[in-house]
Amino acid sequence: MLSYILRRIGLALVITVLAVTTLFVIIHAIPGDPVSTMLGPRASEDMRAALEQRMGLDRPLPVQIALFFGNMLRGDLGTDVFSNRAVTEIVLGQIPYTLVLILASIAWSAVLGIALGCYSAVRRNSLGDRLTGILSVSVIAVPAFVVSLYSLLIFAVRLQWFPAIGAGDTGDILDQLHHLVLPSLAIGLSWVGYIARLVRASMLEVLGEGHIRTARAFGLPERRVILGYALRLAILPTVTVIGVGMGFLLSAAVFIEIVFSRPGLGSLVIDSIMQRNYPVVMGSVLFSTLIFVASTTLADIVNAILDPRIRSGK
Amino acid sequence: MNNPNISWTKVGLPRRAFLQGATALGGMAAAGMMFPRAAHATEGTLRTRTYADIRSMDPAFSQGVVDEEIQGAIYNKLIQYTPGRDWGWQLDAAAMIEQVDDTHINFALRDDIGFTNGFGAMTAEDVKFSFERIIDDALESTNRPDWGPLSHVEVTGERTGTIVLNNAFQPLWSITLPYIAGNIVSKNAFESVGGRIETEVVASSGPYMHAGWEPGQRTTLRRNPDWRGTPAAYEEIQIFHIDDERSAEIAFEAGELDFTRVSLDSVGRLRSNPIDGATLEEFPSLYYVWVGMNLDNPALQSLELRQAIQYAIDVPSIMEGAYYGVAQPSTGIIAPGLSGHREASLTGVSANMERAMELMAASGERNVSLTIDVLNKSTNVTTAQIIQANLAAIGISLDIRLHEAAAFWELGSDESMQLVLNRYSMTPDPYYATSWFITEQAGIWNWERFRSEEFDALHLAAQSEGDAEARAEMYRRAQDLMEESGAYKFLTHEATPVIYRNSVAPALRPDGLPIYRYFGTA
Repeated sequence: MLSYILRRIGLALVITVLAVTTLFVIIHAIPGDPVSTMLGPRASEDMRAALEQRMGLDRPLPVQIALFFGNMLRGDLGTDVFSNRAVTEIVLGQIPYTLVLILASIAWSAVLGIALGCYSAVRRNSLGDRLTGILSVSVIAVPAFVVSLYSLLIFAVRLQWFPAIGAGDTGDILDQLHHLVLPSLAIGLSWVGYIARLVRASMLEVLGEGHIRTARAFGLPERRVILGYALRLAILPTVTVIGVGMGFLLSAAVFIEIVFSRPGLGSLVIDSIMQRNYPVVMGSVLFSTLIFVASTTLADIVNAILDPRIRSGK
Repeated sequence: MNNPNISWTKVGLPRRAFLQGATALGGMAAAGMMFPRAAHATEGTLRTRTYADIRSMDPAFSQGVVDEEIQGAIYNKLIQYTPGRDWGWQLDAAAMIEQVDDTHINFALRDDIGFTNGFGAMTAEDVKFSFERIIDDALESTNRPDWGPLSHVEVTGERTGTIVLNNAFQPLWSITLPYIAGNIVSKNAFESVGGRIETEVVASSGPYMHAGWEPGQRTTLRRNPDWRGTPAAYEEIQIFHIDDERSAEIAFEAGELDFTRVSLDSVGRLRSNPIDGATLEEFPSLYYVWVGMNLDNPALQSLELRQAIQYAIDVPSIMEGAYYGVAQPSTGIIAPGLSGHREASLTGVSANMERAMELMAASGERNVSLTIDVLNKSTNVTTAQIIQANLAAIGISLDIRLHEAAAFWELGSDESMQLVLNRYSMTPDPYYATSWFITEQAGIWNWERFRSEEFDALHLAAQSEGDAEARAEMYRRAQDLMEESGAYKFLTHEATPVIYRNSVAPALRPDGLPIYRYFGTA
């Protein structure tokens, strides 16, 4: 098991380096001069040159990449040229907002999706199964931006149950949860349907297997058979999907953070790309990549723990 | 400008409904997770919106209105813009200010202004420090041009001094003293942190204090208990960073904002279907939007061709189609209400197709195919499409090239650029507008590569012209020269529609931008 985990972590590091390098090249290849954006129209040539030197933009791209990784290993991701704050501080200040949003979305959609999927599988072809199927496909088809806009109009404007903007007062957990409801609803709704369909299909496959029949033949309670034996195996694909889905959730978070005017990694990435604020862009991208790679690696490891065949390479 | 005597009536903020109750999160789902209702509209709190996050709280490095909206509330200036529909200024930290000759301005500070955090009373030394640091080469302030020909500030007493210029500089009264570069900071406070600050405010002196900044979310200002002037109307001002205007409108309708700018395309809806307890007001903006033509491009060498384009563009159609009838056509780069505004342009606002066709024929150009570079905003795209249709009517094929913001703002150095739909920001002095179109700026911010010795001379002379009418005439002539070159078709100054709750008495500049220190309750 340990060697499997080490192999996965090694692979994760390689993926991180490749992804960050690729993104570094792409970001620097897009048109737009960060110095002009940062200094504004009235900066002198001397000021422009000084800033270019300070940002290392006067050096060849491979040197800039090497410097970035060199500084990164020392924990230095540079400073935001606008505010002179450390990029690490800026990014770490925004990550909790995005992580909380993503985790809340995953949590509620996974709980509901798994429950619906189990119900559908156990009550196969019943009216409840068919209704769940229709609902699941319907919510999968609804994009997050449609959910966000309608939820804003209904629950924030019309009913005024939930706030429309922001992430709530710092230190006020209840207020922050209150601000989390609509954004996590927008991100998580389509995942409910997706997970429900996935769990249903997996459950139906597992419920037909020999060990489930054996368990039933031994007279084990049906609840234990379903939750203790069938679901444990049926949930494996869901864990993988949720792990890989972190990337999609991060993408969704970008849009949702803008619509709900929430702070977070998504808003930070968009703002910094628009301003060609390279140090902040790279810091944000690095941490986004790390979140994605860490979540997929974690999903692989959890899968390996749940299914010994995976870690033995069978 | 005169010095109008402004007073505000302060009345208690009526207690707004504190939204009670609880809501069910999973009304649709199974659980019944309960939350207390949001504390919207807390008494004594003004909630507003800004389109970007702050960049710097140091007046030497602020880049625009976002920072200034906050700095204007927490710092003092010798003079401030007067809220209202006409441009003017009123005394702030200065008890007296007078221009004794072209290059000397005497001032005396009020004796009741102090800095927070124990940094003492505001003195003339603070004024000297605040102004001179901006022209200090070592500081590399991006706002140095605002101080033009400042030589130094002479301190003549504890609270008196003289601003000494190298030569006359009229914009001093309209964009230097009452705007970003005019903010007075504490010399002791700044020196205690090494001479400059970033986003942390080390000491302030205005009616509000900088109470907090949550990056990407909001800035909070709180009433300054030591402020001795007219008391601040609100205990707290929360300025939310909301990039998207539509999101801000939803937040306003949801009761979470008390004041915000709204998008142009929402004005019609808000006029016909007003929000209860709110007022919509429209202000003319100072921005100027125009179609520029690159005079160095081989495809645009014919003056007649350029003039044909000027006459073919139908500005009223653009105002209806792209600006929803909210904005008005412009006559130049200087908006109504400012010195140098022209009552009419040379080529008119409505298309004159007959004249355009004559000029096309005179140009001898056939099968003309051009490009127009456009920033990827919906208003710009619609404008470009209308222009495309206008030019098609005179036989010009126009290809629209869309760019995202950072890429678009690099086009100035692109010599292959042909037509461009452009939009510049503006301050309330014509000097700021003409400064981008001088020969020295060709290929930098003068994207049309317009070069005119007469224009350059007018720009230079008008800066120091003391006779208001003569100065205005100089700027009118400068705009004539721009238009005569065939490189410009002026479109609009846009508009700034704002909406606010009736419990708020907003204090706005004539272009609709907020001056929070003067906001009151109604």
